[in-house]
Amino acid sequence: MKRFVAPVAIGVGAVLALSACGGAATTPSGESAEDGTLVIWNWGNSDDAAAAYQDEVLAVFAEQHPDVEVEIVSQPFDQYYTLLGSAIEAGTGPDLALFNGGTQLKSRTDQLTPVTDELADIHDQLAGWPAFEDGGETYSAPMFLQGFPIYYNKAIFAEAGLDPENPPTTWDELADACDTIASETDVSCFALGNKEGLGIEFFLSGFGSGIFTPEEYDAWIDGERDWESEHATQVLQLWADTAEDGWYNDGANSTAMFNDSFDLFSGGQAAMVIGLSSGIAHWKQFDDFLGDDLGFMMPVTVNDGTTLALPIEGGIGYGVLNEDKLDLGVDWIKATVDRDALANYSIAGGQIVSDTTIELDTDIQSAQDIVAELPGSKPLLHTSLGGDTLDLLHRVGQQLLIGEITVEDAASQLAASEG
Amino acid sequence: MTAPTSTRAVVLSDPSPGWPRRTPKVPRRKRKITSETVTPYLLVLPVLLILLVFRIYPLLLGINFSFTGDQELNGVFVGFDNYLFLLQDERFQASARNVLVVLLFVPIEVLVAGLLATFIFIKVPGHRFYRSVYFLPVVLSPIIIGAIFNIVLGANGPLNAMADSVGLPTVDYLGQTMTALPSVLAVHIWATFGMALVIFLAGFSTLDQQLLDAAKIDGANFPQTIWHVIIPGLSQTIQFVFVTTTIGMLTGLFGLLYTMTAGGPGAASYLPEFLIWKLNGEARPALASAASVFLLLIVLVIGLIQIRVLRRATKES
Repeated sequence: MKRFVAPVAIGVGAVLALSACGGAATTPSGESAEDGTLVIWNWGNSDDAAAAYQDEVLAVFAEQHPDVEVEIVSQPFDQYYTLLGSAIEAGTGPDLALFNGGTQLKSRTDQLTPVTDELADIHDQLAGWPAFEDGGETYSAPMFLQGFPIYYNKAIFAEAGLDPENPPTTWDELADACDTIASETDVSCFALGNKEGLGIEFFLSGFGSGIFTPEEYDAWIDGERDWESEHATQVLQLWADTAEDGWYNDGANSTAMFNDSFDLFSGGQAAMVIGLSSGIAHWKQFDDFLGDDLGFMMPVTVNDGTTLALPIEGGIGYGVLNEDKLDLGVDWIKATVDRDALANYSIAGGQIVSDTTIELDTDIQSAQDIVAELPGSKPLLHTSLGGDTLDLLHRVGQQLLIGEITVEDAASQLAASEG
Repeated sequence: MTAPTSTRAVVLSDPSPGWPRRTPKVPRRKRKITSETVTPYLLVLPVLLILLVFRIYPLLLGINFSFTGDQELNGVFVGFDNYLFLLQDERFQASARNVLVVLLFVPIEVLVAGLLATFIFIKVPGHRFYRSVYFLPVVLSPIIIGAIFNIVLGANGPLNAMADSVGLPTVDYLGQTMTALPSVLAVHIWATFGMALVIFLAGFSTLDQQLLDAAKIDGANFPQTIWHVIIPGLSQTIQFVFVTTTIGMLTGLFGLLYTMTAGGPGAASYLPEFLIWKLNGEARPALASAASVFLLLIVLVIGLIQIRVLRRATKES
């Protein structure tokens, strides 16, 4: 037996010695640079409109690079960043990958190649850049704008005796409206799915501009955050209070946001919801169910000295992972923001696109209302948080909702996680 | 020893072919390298290579990786930093605590499976029907089971509607800290006890019928029969079911957790597996590797304890 063990032990030792210097520092190899392929990862096309948009982007890119073969790999969104992270660590990552703006992109900038100068020429044409900028460098161009508009159901407002055309504009009015809806109807005031803990980030970004002063808001985005400040703890307090006051559907902590909570709103089981502006849970999707009953409202004024702003920023964009294919990658990014492709998709798929020169040709009033608020809009508050803090926020959000921790405790935990 | 002419002859003539027998009386001689001595190594080589390349090597890489940093420290040796970070991380502490809760549920599953198997064994009316019904959930995917019980256990779900109709309080089972993990574990037991039940039934078939008859003649009642005849006779089966159930609980809960609670509320239903997946998704694969090493240690320690217990039980019998 000894004779057999020895070579194995030597082999294992050699493996350890070899791998000890390897670590995780593998970067995507440039081996495929010569053979003219561009490997791109995304999370697939949710519908025909998305597929048609991708075909248009491919066509635009093919015009410039007819000999380059584009290989698009669709990964399931649930595991997208896990799979991507593993692939990058293993050195088998794609040349380009789709990213959500904000935290998801910013926590991976060390793996991305900056494209600041390369995209300078299209900078003025698009809105929503901050979600793709970090440390003074730009890492991608936003294809769509993702925001957290508040939608409401005019029919439920009317049923409760509220004015469907004049939604609440202050926190007190909103609280009164919720009381009225609770007493006059058997639906909940807000639809909330907090199983993944996302509810509080929708709440923070959705109502933020009515709580924080413009100076505090900008400082927050710039990374100067004090979770124990008056207005930050107020966000947590309001979140806990709204749950205590029964604004939400039963079992919010065990309800999935996508799409159970949005189904509650579409199905007329809730009067309001903080939804999205692009991709899913947006004006076009709700319009299919509610039609003319769908309304859009701005955040409400909670504190004096605040300036209400639509929370919206660059939603998704491709980042360059393989530096050797920078030129091809930049051309792909530019193809994704091709004006015609975006214009067609904005209507077909229900997107608020980043190109501000495109007029949204739809008669869905809430979409026009959202677009009208774009000039004064502000970036989302939660996407500037680091991954750790965001995950902690999800967890304390769930605990606050069921009254398991105090607002002070939540605030101090969040402050500690920001370091 | 004459050279055997076939593999069969080798096997029959020598209980350990390839290993030259050594007896104390015979002085040690130089072993010759013949096809006989080499063949066994060649035969096991493919399996060993597969184990080395696809199990041991990635395992070592993972352990090595757990000593490096994430993001800007990618590939840099950081010593035990990841481990120290995990030890004071709220989610890791929660998942370690929850492993203990999981272990508490193992005897429950063994008990449920054992009792129901006993009922089938003593041929209660409809036992054939129950045998297939009990096994049915085993063939369902955890994701489907999770989706079903999301509805059943929902705040407005059928279970709460039933409780409400008879005046009992309603509970958001999956959204409350005290009930989230136990609910998932209860569903896991429902979904997997069928396998344990089948193993028990196989064990029952080895029971000595004479002993059972003797117990009956001696006037033993049902509980006495279970306690003094069936359980001693099934000791090995029970040990085996314990081990497989524990492994199943420690490594097979991800699908249910993912669909039913997503680890929440807070970190109330985090388990190591789920934490590893979350950490990797947060672009911290090295930290996830450190958590994986911890999970490996947990499973290793529990596994070794159980093997010890199992071995002792086998000796006793």
